[in-house]
Amino acid sequence: MSQLSTDKLSVAFAGLKALSDVDLTIKPGHITGLIGPNGAGKTTLVNVLTGFQAPTGGAVSLDGNALNGLKPHQIRRKGIARTFQGGRLFRDLAVIDNLEVTGVGLGQSRAQARAEAVAMLDWIGIPALQNRIAGTLPYTDERRVAIGRALIGKPDYILLDEPAAGMSGAEAADLSALIRRIASEMGCGVLLIEHNVGLVLNLCDHIVVLDSGAVIETGSPEAIRGSEKVRHAYMGTAAETNLPVLETLS
Amino acid sequence: MSVARRTISTPVILALLLIALALMAVFSGSRPFNQTIIDIFLRVILVVGLYIFIGNSGVISFGHAGFTCLGGYAAAWLTIPPMMKQTLLPGLPDWLMNLQLPFWAGAIFAAVWAAIWAAVFGKILMRLSGIAASIATFAMLAMINTIYSNWESVTAATSSVVGIPIVRSIWPYLIAAILAVFVAWAHSISRAGLALRAARDEPTAAAASGIDAPKERLVAFIISGAVMGMGGALFAHSIGVVTPDTFYLTLTFITLSMLVVGGMGSLSGAVLGVVILSGLIQGLRWLEAGVSIGTTTFAIPNGLQEITLGIVMILILARRPSGIMANSELNWTRSRSEDPGV
Repeated sequence: MSQLSTDKLSVAFAGLKALSDVDLTIKPGHITGLIGPNGAGKTTLVNVLTGFQAPTGGAVSLDGNALNGLKPHQIRRKGIARTFQGGRLFRDLAVIDNLEVTGVGLGQSRAQARAEAVAMLDWIGIPALQNRIAGTLPYTDERRVAIGRALIGKPDYILLDEPAAGMSGAEAADLSALIRRIASEMGCGVLLIEHNVGLVLNLCDHIVVLDSGAVIETGSPEAIRGSEKVRHAYMGTAAETNLPVLETLS
Repeated sequence: MSVARRTISTPVILALLLIALALMAVFSGSRPFNQTIIDIFLRVILVVGLYIFIGNSGVISFGHAGFTCLGGYAAAWLTIPPMMKQTLLPGLPDWLMNLQLPFWAGAIFAAVWAAIWAAVFGKILMRLSGIAASIATFAMLAMINTIYSNWESVTAATSSVVGIPIVRSIWPYLIAAILAVFVAWAHSISRAGLALRAARDEPTAAAASGIDAPKERLVAFIISGAVMGMGGALFAHSIGVVTPDTFYLTLTFITLSMLVVGGMGSLSGAVLGVVILSGLIQGLRWLEAGVSIGTTTFAIPNGLQEITLGIVMILILARRPSGIMANSELNWTRSRSEDPGV
């Protein structure tokens, strides 16, 4: 069966373990949530899955084929897309060109890439932004454009790194609807990293909880809601940074 | 509307500007003015060649004068009469010794020769980015200069290689300059151009979009190397003589200054930078040669050209870091704050 998975994935920085024996599976058409306190290793895991960080142990595989050693652009061409926490749009280019870049990167002609970019902007509901310079967009639109850019070429998997950060409740609800459509209409496997735990619990089919680089719990949203381990992981850091998370979790 | 149709006015306007300069030279009937315009066209070729790589990749290259050197000497090898080559360059292989091509064919081969070496060097250098890549390109220039300054039997070392057929007609230079502008525009609107600019602006996101930045940089490096090689060949035919130092630090400094002043991210800026600074250089040359007023001749010290260029470059960098044109292009309707290929 088609899947993106990791097997005992580990990453260490100068002796400090950022990831430790992480096993994770993402399936097409499913939304997998990845949560954990700050510093749990969530972004590091996404960086390893997309080739931006080399693992120090374990393996990443797509449909049983190892991805270790591939460069980020090669992994993207295999159908694994990602977004970034900061959006990272090409700020001097128009929105349409931001999407066109991915088509070009995937080997399309400019005309093909443009046609798909236009269709994608329509699909994600922001066709009016086509000619806006990306650097002038409000934060929420920037996130949508980043998702649209990642969806060009209809990837098999998309890894969304905190797409709802800074969004209001209504904006996060719109984003949730979009993510559902990505999984259901495109059949794309989604890995959702998000500090808004409520959004993850409502949206995901399956959730993985990381703490200090290790998987401490996996399961359905219901199982995660009732997990003492998860509660403890968040309570452990609540005094420092994550008090609102506690409220969302309960 | 296709990207080509949306942006074609930029190279057309620049070509019309160059044609206007050529017509001015022809109608003036002045030989020195004709030579001045030829010099401008040569600089347009070289600075546009630089723009193809620097403007799109964001990597400052200090090494492109090396491709001009390769092109200039290739033109010498291919167009000097065999009798002269036997005396000046006895180490050339027989087939090259006995070959004499017309200047335009020599220029084509010079472009191909420079492109081949750009591919060889670029294969290694284009894995680098930022300041490391810039320093590596300078090392490449130093290597080329050292080889050409010491290979006595093939390059005459530091001696002048004379006998290169001089081409005084302005039209070949005009055609080559317009060709360079259209090549730069075509690359800019191509897949490779868009991908390279994306990698320049946001390398991480570009990689996540499937773009192989070193490959795209290499493509631009080869194309710009070819344009610089062609420029080097025509440079040789404009003065009839080459030495390795013709294509070294001074040329590097002048061409980079023109690109910086015009705007590194703009094809129009590359051309306008040449026109504006060439006017300044010509004025300074005139003053260096001395201006007679009555019985007294006033002259500024030699070398003031470079000093003035340096001051202009510093002022531009301080007051308008992205150059006169910034990232905008000349357009029929308005100046667009976008790259030509977008």
